[in-house]
Parts: sequence; structure tokens; C-alpha cells
Amino acid sequence: MAWGINGRMSKTKLLNKTTRSFLIYAVLILLASAPAFYFISQWLYVYETDEVLIFHKEDFVKGTHHKFTESDIVAWNKYNRDVEIVPDMGVSTDSIVGKSLYEPTSGEMEPFRILYSPVTINSKKFTYIEKTNLVEMEGMVVSIAMMFLCIIVILLAGIIYISRESAAKIWKPFYDTLRKIQDFEIDKNREPNFAPTDIKEFDSLNKSIEKLIEKNTAIYKSQREFVENAAHELQTPLALFQTKVDTLAQAEGLPDEASDIIGALNNDISRMNRLNKNLLLLSKIDNDTYLEKQPVQINNLIEKHIDFFREQGEPKNLSFKLELDVQLSVTTNPALAEVLVNNLFMNAIRHNVQDGEIIITTTQNTVTFANTGLNNPLNSGKLFNRFSKENPSSQGNGLGLAIIKKIGELNQWNISYDFKNDLHYFIVTFP
Amino acid sequence: MKVLIIEDEPAISKSIKEYFKPYGIQCENAASKREALDKIGMYEYDCILLDLMLPDGDGFDILKELKRLNKTDGVIIISAKETLETRIEGFNLGADDYLTKPFHLSELLVRMQALIRRKNFNGSNIITFNEISVDLLGKNVTVNDIKLDITKKEIDLLLYLIGNQNKVLSKSAIAEYLSGDMADMLDNHDFVYAHIKNLKKKLTTSGAGDYIKTVYGLGYKWQDE
Repeated sequence: MAWGINGRMSKTKLLNKTTRSFLIYAVLILLASAPAFYFISQWLYVYETDEVLIFHKEDFVKGTHHKFTESDIVAWNKYNRDVEIVPDMGVSTDSIVGKSLYEPTSGEMEPFRILYSPVTINSKKFTYIEKTNLVEMEGMVVSIAMMFLCIIVILLAGIIYISRESAAKIWKPFYDTLRKIQDFEIDKNREPNFAPTDIKEFDSLNKSIEKLIEKNTAIYKSQREFVENAAHELQTPLALFQTKVDTLAQAEGLPDEASDIIGALNNDISRMNRLNKNLLLLSKIDNDTYLEKQPVQINNLIEKHIDFFREQGEPKNLSFKLELDVQLSVTTNPALAEVLVNNLFMNAIRHNVQDGEIIITTTQNTVTFANTGLNNPLNSGKLFNRFSKENPSSQGNGLGLAIIKKIGELNQWNISYDFKNDLHYFIVTFP
Repeated sequence: MKVLIIEDEPAISKSIKEYFKPYGIQCENAASKREALDKIGMYEYDCILLDLMLPDGDGFDILKELKRLNKTDGVIIISAKETLETRIEGFNLGADDYLTKPFHLSELLVRMQALIRRKNFNGSNIITFNEISVDLLGKNVTVNDIKLDITKKEIDLLLYLIGNQNKVLSKSAIAEYLSGDMADMLDNHDFVYAHIKNLKKKLTTSGAGDYIKTVYGLGYKWQDE
């Protein structure tokens, strides 16, 4: 098993893996069967040759040859190269032997099959000798080898072709499913639609995944709905709370202690109220409430509420520096773009220091809010999480940056954080 | 003046009723759609406060019935529902204003006053309090017929204070009222102090009475001396 540099197993495609084992198996079988085939063919050839020899002899015996005279035998031997009638050599039964003999025609030693058989001519015992050259065998071996080579080539080509083409077709639904799972995101309202397949395993794979996704999406949805419903249901008790505190504040002759508490309660309700509104906003963004898009001038959004934010910055005596020379226009939902800009403003004010500074810059594709604040960088890993607060005593509810991030995700804008020259930078990059 | 509060939460309608009483506003309550439709059929109201989620039906049905009866002017929707769609539907069906729960009673009161002013508009639109008069159309304020140099926000604040005279108004209520749609973005309510101080100064230096009282721990109150 091969291991990559990073310690992970190197991955092979399933198709290549099955093809490779097929190929190895086919080559091994072919290599092993080639000699076996050779020996079997040779044995069969020898067997056939021997049968022919016996057949010739029987033909000789059955024919008129048993009436041969001495001179006939001499003549026979003279004109037959391969058959010889010799005086009895003492063989009692047919016997065939393989021997290498000198062949004058080719001038070298060649393999022969030789039959020795007892025959009776004119009641006199003789030995019948017939020999057959096995020289065609060599040519046959070459033919067999050629044939095997052809078979190997055709077979391998076939295996490769089948696995590349036909197997690729078979595995297509699998890769299709895989791609769709990779593209699936639970927070987007798009469930994957698997292509129907006639392969049982893939069909059941698709069904299982569909079921899994369906179940998880339902759980995710109910979770999301829970947040929205909870925030919604809280509105009524909050309204009750608020009106009651408003009424209580009208009471005559309240002691100072009671007034302090009622005043504090008023602030608490405001905070609770804003927290709840932000939760509602987050779940509304999740539920695709803000889909309608149109061109939005970011610069206009920054300038729209600048007076409000200057006022909010007054207690800290913040100075605002706007570097809005570049007109930045993006196509998005105007309400959400405004929420984004406002939250960036709010974040820069909330985490600022006394006599601090806020610098807002636009470029062709970015808007940057830089602000003074704590003299060390924030933990950017946790920064954009819901309810993550660097300063626990801060008035913020910890949702501002989560909302910024959510709006960024929805629009595929990149939201990044940087800390340099004692300034905290929040940069929105538009594609 | 008669107001019908269509609201299934008795504590809310009771608070509204009590808050409005000193201003001579008579409130009646309907806790269900049925009751509301009965009352609408029988009586005339100057203003209707309508909650959209009622135990026996949708508040929009009441709006439709009001439209059929040609009685839609003077409807303020008070609802926990806050989507653009419900807002638009409410306005399309003839509602005049939309207030999302939770709200401050002081804000509801000034919105209602503004609504009734629009409804009874008779050429001039001037609110007076002793020597102070606010011209809503001309957007200016005069004290003993002398025009004040005053910002739009200060006029808003003045109308809010006069509208809620004799009531204690918390800093957060004032801040949220002045911020309008931006109220969700409020980080602190300190700016209220600056606005109150400026308004007070402008009024007193021009000869008006010092009507803005600070109430310890709670906020401010507009009170005739």
C-alpha cells in the first residue's frame, strides 16, 4: 500500500483498480497456459502420428503384402524410403519409439517416430519398420506462439476497452451521485436530484443517501424554524414586559431605588429586544427571505446613516474618516446590503476606544472598515461565530459579526479580518 | 375619541387603555376576530389598533371587512409579525400604520395622534402648547410667535414630548423613537441627553416655560408648570 508524503494513503480510481487486477490475472493465466498448450499439442501430434503408423501397418497386413516373395520385399525396400521389411528382429508386439535421426535432405538431426511391428509374409516372420518425420512440429510451435500472442493482445485490448468504456458507463451513476453529494450544502435549500439507474446497488445507494439527506435537512429545517419561532414567540412576552415597565414608570412617588431599577429594566428590555430582532434577522436570512436583487451603491449606504452613527460615536468622541472616492456598486438585496454596512459601522463604534478613529474606504471591489480598539489582534477563528464576544462586558449581543458573515456567505462575498498598525480591519471583498 | 383595540393579550390592551386614558381617549377591547367584527359593525371608531394574530383567525380578515364597510381610515397594525410581505399586505388592505411588537406605549400614542391629525386634517396643521406652536407642514416651531432655529430631530422630539405630556419617558423609549428604523442599531442612549439639553435650551432662551423635567433614574417628562 502506497502512502503519500502527508501520511495519507495514495488513492487509485476504482476503475483502474479492477482493470489492473483483471489484466494481471489474464496475463498470468495466458503465460501459464502457453507451455501447457504446447505440451498438450505435442502429445496429441505424437499420438496422431503413432495412429497413422499403426494404420499403415494394418493396411500393409490386410493388403496383398502377405503374399510377397523375397524379391518383392527387396523391391519394396528399394522403393519405400519410410517403410522397411527386415528379417525378424525379435519384436513380438507393436512398439513405437521416438528417435533423432540424421536427415540427409536437410543435413541435420531431426526427430522421428519409428514403428517396429512383427509381420508374417509367406509364413515367414519379418519385422515391419516405419518412420515418420516430426519436423512440422517446429512450425506448429511458432504458429501456436503467434496465435497466443494474438489472443493475448485481443484479450487485453478487450479488457481495457470494456473497463474504460462499458465499465465507465456502468459506474456513471455512481460518479454522478458522488458529484452531487460533494455539491450538497445543507444550509442551501437545494436537495440533490439523483439520476435514476437500473443498477440495483447504485439505486439503493441513491435511495439511502436521499433518505439521509432528507432526514438531516428536516432536522436542520426544524432547528432553524425553532430559532425563528422562539424569537417570534418571545415578541409577545417582551411586548407585555415593555408595556408593564412603561406603566410602572408612570407611578407617582417612586423611591429612588425603585426608579433606578425601572430605569435599568428599560435598558435590559431594549437589549433583549435588539437581540431578539437580530436572531429573527439571522433566521430570515437563512430562510431566503431576501432574494430580490438590484444594483446597490455601497457609498450611498455608508453616507445614508452617517449622521446616526456619528451621533452614536459621540460619547466616545470618535472621529470618522471617509475615503469614498471610488464608487462601489454591487448587485444584491438592498435591505441586506444596508444591514451589512450598518453592522460594520456598529461594530467599529462598539469596540472602539475613547477618542478613537474609524476609517471607511471603498475600492473597485472592496469596502473596508478600520477602527482603533484593543491593542492586540482578535481571535479571527471565533470572531464571526454567534455570541462570540471578546469583551464580555460590552453592550453588544455578539450577533453583529455573525450577521455580517451570513450576509457575506449568502452573496459569496469574502469577509476578512486583519490587524495592523493598531487598527482592526474588516474587509468585504466583492467578486 | 374612541379607539378599538383588537388584541388577544388582555395585559397589553389594558396597558394601552390605562396609558391613553388621561388624554381623553376611550378604549374598547376586542379579544377575538368575532368580537372585533361585531363591534366594527355596530360602532364608529376614530382609530383601530389591530393585532394580526388572533385566536380565531387572521387580522387581515378584519381589514378586508373594514375595507368592505369603507371604514379603513385609522387602522394601526400592531403585530409581532415583521416581514416586508405582511407590511405590504397590511398597507394594501388599507392600514395606515404598522408598529412591530414590542413597542413603547409612548410611540403608539404619538403615532395614533399623527394618524388622527392626518384624518381630521382641515387646512392648517398646527399643534399648540401654551406659548409654543408647532407647524407640521412648515416644519417650524414658534414661541410667542417668534420662530426658533430648530432641527428636524428636535421637532420630532418636541412633538413626542408634547404628545406624551405628563408621562415619564425613558431614555431608551426616546432613543428608539428618534432613531426610527435604525433603532435596532442603537449602541447607547447617551445622545438623548444632548438632544433634550439642546431643545430645553432653545425653548427656555426664547421665553418658553421649562416644561422638560428630568425624572430621577427613569428619564424625562413634559409637564406644564
